[in-house]
Amino acid sequence: MLVVAALVIGMVFAGPLAYVVIQNVREGADLADIVWSEDTAGPLVRSLLLASVVSLTSALIGTVLAWTVVRTDIRGRSLWKVVAPLPLVFPSFVGATALISGFATGGLLEQLVEPLGVGSLPELSGFRGAWFVLTLFTYPYVYLPVAARLRHLPAAPEESARLLGRRPLQVFTSVVLPQSLTAISAGALLVFLYTISDFGAVQLLRYDTLTRAIFANQLANRATSFGLALLLGIVAIVVVAGERALIRRDPPTSGRNRSRALQIPLGPLRGPVTVAVGAFFLVALVGPAASLLHWLIRGLSSERSRGATAVDVDGLWSAVVNTVWVSIAAAVVTVAVVLPVAYLNARYRSRTGTAANALVVSGFALPGVVIGLAFVFWVLSTDLFVSFYQTLPLLVLAYVIHFGAQATGASGVAVGAIPPHLDDAARTLGAGRLRRFTTIELPIMAPGLGAAGGLVLLSVMKELPATLFLAPIGFDTLATRIWSAMETVSYAQAGLDSLVLLAVSGLLTWLLVIRAAEHLD
Amino acid sequence: MLKIMRVLPVLLVLTLAAAACGGSDDSAPATGTLEGKTVTVYSGRGEDLIAAVFEAFETATGATVDVRYGGSDEMALLIDTEGDRSPADVFISQSPGAVGFLDQNDRLTTMSDDVLQRVPDTYRADDGTWVGLTGRVRVLVYNTDLVSVDELPGSVLDLTDPAYAGKVGVAPSNGSFQDFVTAMRADLGDDATLEWLEGLAANDSPNYAKNSAIVDAVSRGEVAMGLVNHYYLAEALEEDPDLPAANHVFPDGDLGSLLIVSAAGVVDSTDDREAAEALIAFLLSDDAQRMSADAEYEYALVPGIDPPAGLEPLEDLAAVQVDLDVLADGLTGTLALIEQSGIVE
Repeated sequence: MLVVAALVIGMVFAGPLAYVVIQNVREGADLADIVWSEDTAGPLVRSLLLASVVSLTSALIGTVLAWTVVRTDIRGRSLWKVVAPLPLVFPSFVGATALISGFATGGLLEQLVEPLGVGSLPELSGFRGAWFVLTLFTYPYVYLPVAARLRHLPAAPEESARLLGRRPLQVFTSVVLPQSLTAISAGALLVFLYTISDFGAVQLLRYDTLTRAIFANQLANRATSFGLALLLGIVAIVVVAGERALIRRDPPTSGRNRSRALQIPLGPLRGPVTVAVGAFFLVALVGPAASLLHWLIRGLSSERSRGATAVDVDGLWSAVVNTVWVSIAAAVVTVAVVLPVAYLNARYRSRTGTAANALVVSGFALPGVVIGLAFVFWVLSTDLFVSFYQTLPLLVLAYVIHFGAQATGASGVAVGAIPPHLDDAARTLGAGRLRRFTTIELPIMAPGLGAAGGLVLLSVMKELPATLFLAPIGFDTLATRIWSAMETVSYAQAGLDSLVLLAVSGLLTWLLVIRAAEHLD
Repeated sequence: MLKIMRVLPVLLVLTLAAAACGGSDDSAPATGTLEGKTVTVYSGRGEDLIAAVFEAFETATGATVDVRYGGSDEMALLIDTEGDRSPADVFISQSPGAVGFLDQNDRLTTMSDDVLQRVPDTYRADDGTWVGLTGRVRVLVYNTDLVSVDELPGSVLDLTDPAYAGKVGVAPSNGSFQDFVTAMRADLGDDATLEWLEGLAANDSPNYAKNSAIVDAVSRGEVAMGLVNHYYLAEALEEDPDLPAANHVFPDGDLGSLLIVSAAGVVDSTDDREAAEALIAFLLSDDAQRMSADAEYEYALVPGIDPPAGLEPLEDLAAVQVDLDVLADGLTGTLALIEQSGIVE
């Protein structure tokens, strides 16, 4: 039953890659020729290099941050819990523009540090720029699943290590790290896939990766464009398979973590650690937000020569409502859909599970435009779904396929947290499958599933290409409004809408991911 | 599909007929003729720029206009992928590249002469599949604190001079820059164009993602000058009137002051050609053209409409005009040249 479900799910998720293969055949793309050409080698190496470095840095930042926020007595914990996942919600074209303009000569940051005697700042571009920007906006892929895992790890081993005189750092490396490896690598994998599929940031920061080549050729050389997209998909499958082969799954936890919120006292480090975490969010969140606010204020304070107002708030409310409900719907459906695959993977090392997982995850490595077009292609080539084309149910389904990968990792970690003996005991006592699922497994999985849903939620809130293709006409989201404002250089409008997006995602993260997880704990 | 690029002689733009000013608007359909009909538009032009004109069409004809907004390239790809089942009746593109792509894939139908002849024949497809709506001029935006007027080049070809090393921002991946390179190929040939691109590459001309990024960078003083479309500066000044930046129009009909048009065509799978054409005819009516010029800082293409506020008439700006069919067809070769030149960082 589980296997059948996983097969069906795998097939649906294979849609984008299958579309790319079909287009390669149709366009007569010579894959070998494209792969071994000199024009491909450079961008391919740059994509892999950037993705590797960004995932390593994000893994480090996400893990350290998760442990510090969940497990230590750092000041302002409840604030950090809400803000930590938020940088994920910056659409990369907005986040990158905000950081570039913040860092630029004469930009906000220079105005701030000038009185301190700091001369010129490093220009944000190329490899360094893309690394910096993508790391800041993708570490939440690691943070959310790791924080969920830590919330559920029994406190006892850490407590014992501490009582045995280990310092916080030693507790972290000897106890926490080994137990969170699955969550860390699942998150880092998402960062890797996001980075190789990202277009907005590398384009603005002028770093020539495979996605840039895919976009540059999308109208003029379709064969090359689809060939490169297929290459990206193959890279993703190899990386996904590699991660699975290398990383040992965590042993299930021995029981539910009843001792709430173990806090490792940081002692004399408490002040400095708090300052460090604060400084990090200053760069990752306050910085871009300040740039956005700067755009808004600058636009509002200058008179519009055309007699129009600098910002339009009509339609903002409906865009907020649309964004909120469509992203919640997509998050819930996605978690429900990938759960069977997560079960297969965590419980049994089945081939079907492995294959389904690879297909689900590979979809995430393709640029959003390709996924959107694939969806258009499949929907319109079947008579069954034509009448649903460009309606909300299919838009939600497209999000599910696009972002399913984000939920599989964290859901797998969640399923892995269920101690088998509890299930066995319940079975012995005569509890049916459904009852065991709702009374035992679901509560244990809640934080992990919350993290999975949270990732999808934040991603859908900023999703652009599929929304532009597939939303019903007139269905604006915050992301489409921001994009259209950026296109017409209405920075004030883009600033306002982005700040609203940030606020709404903060509220949703707090309500649905953090409060819900703690409530169920 | 193999298409031979037609290299046409450079055409002198004639003084646009001033006499047409104030004439009655004969292209707008009679009021109420399209009651109950719906025209679906996929628009690469932004809502801010064009929605008001669609509303005016709805009021004038009783038709309903449903508009999907997105990037021009993406909307063209969407129509192509949708095939015969495309809901789109009309496609509107920011540049000739995307309409040219759909034309090459035989996804646009020929429009009637009544519509096409609203604009001079340099601003429309030879085969009548698309027609220009508005125009933007390529200019050199410069930082007025960093560059004095006498340092400005007389021709876009001068920018390969070592004196401009590192000073000129370009956006090689942007459609407008690519359209300009295609025009240069049509005008000067591939060899001279490659030489010019290589000259810019040798000058380490900094790359940017798009026009607006160049205008931002120039305004901040990050780069002294940049090749962009004229209206980005006007839009940036609207947000911040104190920006130390100005547009330089290459004088004497230099190729650098090329006019790039936004364009519209009827999608071949439309279920209502008449209504689709009526909408495009309306976009080319005097009133709609005036709205475009006023609200978008762009040039109307229909003869006799005043230029946008504060700008010189079209005929004073660009004495050079390259056949726009060439722009629409030659993208493949242009991308190859750009790639070969090494200008992309």
